[in-house]
Amino acid sequence: MDPEARKVIEMGYGGAERLTMNMGPQHPSAHGVFRAILTLQGETVVGMDAVIGYLHRCHEKLGETLTYTQYPSIASKTDYVAAMSSELAYVRAAELLGKIEVPKRAQYLRVLVGELQRIASHCVWLGTWCMDMGGALGGGATVFLYCIREREMVLDLFEALVGARLLYGFHQVGGTRYDLPAGWVQTCRETVDFIDRRITEWEEMLEDNDFFLARARGVGVISRELAQEIGISGPLIRASGVNYDIRRAEPYSSYEDFDFKVPVETAGDCYARYRVRMVEFRESSKIVRQVLDGLPEGPISSRPGVKSVGQVRIPKGEAYARVEGPRGEVGCYLVADGSAKPYRMKWRGASFSNLAVLPHIIPGHKVADVVAIMGSVDPVFGEVDR
Amino acid sequence: MGEALSGFIAGFIVLNAVVGIVTYVTLLERKFAARMQSRIGPYRVGPHGLLQPIADALKLMMKEDIVPRLADRVVYNLAPVVFLIPCMLIFATIPFAPGLGVADLNIGILFFLAVSAMEIVGLFMAGWGSNNKYALLSAMRAVNQIISYDLPFIFTALVPVLLAGSLRLSDIATAQAGLWFVFYPVIGQLAFAAFIITTLAAENRVPFDILEAESELVAGFRVEYSGMKFALIQLGEYAHMVGTSFLGALLFLGAWAGPGPAWLGPVWFLLKAMGVFLLVTWVRWSFVRIRVDQILAISWKLLLPLSLLLLMATALVVVLRSGPGV
Amino acid sequence: MSDGPRDGFWDELGGLCRAVGRAMGVTFVNFLRKPVTVHYPDVTRVYPDRFRGVLALTYDTETGEENCIGCRLCEYICPPRVIKVEMLKSEKRNFAKTFTLELYACEFCELCVQVCPTDAIVMMKSFDVATADRRELLLDKDRLHTLGQQFERSWATGNILRDMQTPPKAAKAESAAQPKAAGGAE
Repeated sequence: MDPEARKVIEMGYGGAERLTMNMGPQHPSAHGVFRAILTLQGETVVGMDAVIGYLHRCHEKLGETLTYTQYPSIASKTDYVAAMSSELAYVRAAELLGKIEVPKRAQYLRVLVGELQRIASHCVWLGTWCMDMGGALGGGATVFLYCIREREMVLDLFEALVGARLLYGFHQVGGTRYDLPAGWVQTCRETVDFIDRRITEWEEMLEDNDFFLARARGVGVISRELAQEIGISGPLIRASGVNYDIRRAEPYSSYEDFDFKVPVETAGDCYARYRVRMVEFRESSKIVRQVLDGLPEGPISSRPGVKSVGQVRIPKGEAYARVEGPRGEVGCYLVADGSAKPYRMKWRGASFSNLAVLPHIIPGHKVADVVAIMGSVDPVFGEVDR
Repeated sequence: MGEALSGFIAGFIVLNAVVGIVTYVTLLERKFAARMQSRIGPYRVGPHGLLQPIADALKLMMKEDIVPRLADRVVYNLAPVVFLIPCMLIFATIPFAPGLGVADLNIGILFFLAVSAMEIVGLFMAGWGSNNKYALLSAMRAVNQIISYDLPFIFTALVPVLLAGSLRLSDIATAQAGLWFVFYPVIGQLAFAAFIITTLAAENRVPFDILEAESELVAGFRVEYSGMKFALIQLGEYAHMVGTSFLGALLFLGAWAGPGPAWLGPVWFLLKAMGVFLLVTWVRWSFVRIRVDQILAISWKLLLPLSLLLLMATALVVVLRSGPGV
Repeated sequence: MSDGPRDGFWDELGGLCRAVGRAMGVTFVNFLRKPVTVHYPDVTRVYPDRFRGVLALTYDTETGEENCIGCRLCEYICPPRVIKVEMLKSEKRNFAKTFTLELYACEFCELCVQVCPTDAIVMMKSFDVATADRRELLLDKDRLHTLGQQFERSWATGNILRDMQTPPKAAKAESAAQPKAAGGAE
């Protein structure tokens, strides 16, 4: 008999036998390509092993072979759901090193697109999380389609501004590449108001809904100590009681000019992470309105427009710049050697560090909770594998 | 001999009609769900997607029939058939008009409930025979869930039986000539609500569809089936769903009662059954699913005691009215 | 949004019924709304001015000559290196002898448009070039010029983009004079 077959038949499925199940890289709810090797005892998960690397595309090597003018377009492909934040980390690192000033208008534009991107990214998070919990043929798909319908409006705004819907190439060293077209400000205000009303609708569907609360309350609790020890960031750490937001701790790109609340919850479960992100929706739209009200006139870049590939040269040094992306701290560590290409570039992916918490919180839960927890951690595997 | 032949012909007609209705019910559900999600459903195949179910059926017939190497062949191949037969058999006792039905048994509803519970055997055979951990997990959850929910299902279905005083389905329908059972003060509405909930669970519909949770178990017990066997399983599921909708319309909504001439009766019956189906669909597309232990908790701790209480209350009402009927 | 904590059996049951009613109400309201589907390809939506579509080469509107001078700046800046140009020297100006663009690998980042000194390469407001044979997406110079005549052009050209990005001299002098006012270093 086939030795594989013999192993399978001998294993048996009765009683206290532990089952090793693969929640494989091809899976409707793996949020990308992620392999989780679960050890099950009945319906309870007793162990979890994570395997990543299915989406590795050598970003850090690309950072060494592409110049400072070429790479920002590629940087958006790490966290492709929140492309603006990813580009911003790289560009800020280069500007820190080169001591390049960014004009006020460009800083405000960066805040504007960053917050609009946060709204769009959280739409994806809510939609996919509900779809994981509710099924592709069920209420989850309904919430997913509502979120995507609203996200399309934000993407339309980006399309009118940049020309692309998902991967922008909007930032460049010294400022931004595009300025606002005529009529964009009005459309943006209307869109943000419309989305605010629709967020209320989604909350009506989910908030207080016993089915939803039964899936999200008390599931996947990350204690405060664990959160600080492991090194997670973003909504995860704010849902566990630690009030840390890079936009407040180390304001960049004129974030200190804006008045917004940083939501913090103490429960640390999926429901707390949900509440944090729902409040972040509204705070982002608040920031967008403030930016539009106070947008100064002026240039959008402090350096002339890119005319040749080796135009930007950064002097020797090393710098680490970080950005509060929708998933957490996105950081770029840059070592420059005076030429037009970096000597070394390293990405700190928010999702990569966030995934480290999974083997600590998943054991003890049922299989159905694994997807709920993964959805609330909200990984994007472009950032994890780079 | 004549009776057997007429029974055979009636059965043949009903089966074909059921298959036709079931295929188009899939289209109805897809378009209804699409409208709730701000989109249109199938649109391009035929005018407004009317030929979509036929295209789906043809596609499934043309697909390759894969049997996993290590699967238990006999069990694997028999499972769709064992699953489908009870789901079709339940239509035998449903009277589509006074006197128009395949077999109007005097224990009609008992037959319906007993036979519809037999699909669990086919389901478990499918999960076991597939030699797939996902399928097995799903099959075990299914047995758990369907058995737990069959009890409240039976008890809520017994409420109209008590009110009508007979197990025969056509008697229950005619007993509603004056007042549909759903309009009965308190008892009717509660029983209907409980019926809808238990239907959702017995049909593996969200919020109780943990056993086919696509996002975790990727189609559950059906995961290894392809081609015509998959079509049989789909057909069985939707046939069961439609059959339970007909039962709900008959038990609570007065079956063929409606304005107009008597020959419109079956049309009203169909419309009411579709109404029940759409209500179930509406619930399905509005909620996230709950975990299997929560599903079982709801069944044993909430629905079973409530349905028993409801049954006792109905019995009390019937006795106080000194006799069956309205 | 929350109703608040519930205690007691009837409170819980009432809360559950209210929550169920609310969720089903939201789906019902959406049922009555008009679907957002655009019946592509029968109906195409209006693309914005800056839409980044397929690439094309242009002719000079007055003289009818090709704009491209074969300087290869686009080739050097392209991150995935999909452009290959050979220059053809001539008396008054240079031309591009061959110009190939591998559209199947193109990122549509618009950097080539950004650097072009003569506004030769531009992007079109269309992306409808799907084919069954990948070789059709290896655009040569003739195909690129044909595409330039076929579709509507996007707003962005090299000079427009560079003018938008380059700070005017007056603002630069101001920012040099008052470093604090013109936006601090990050």
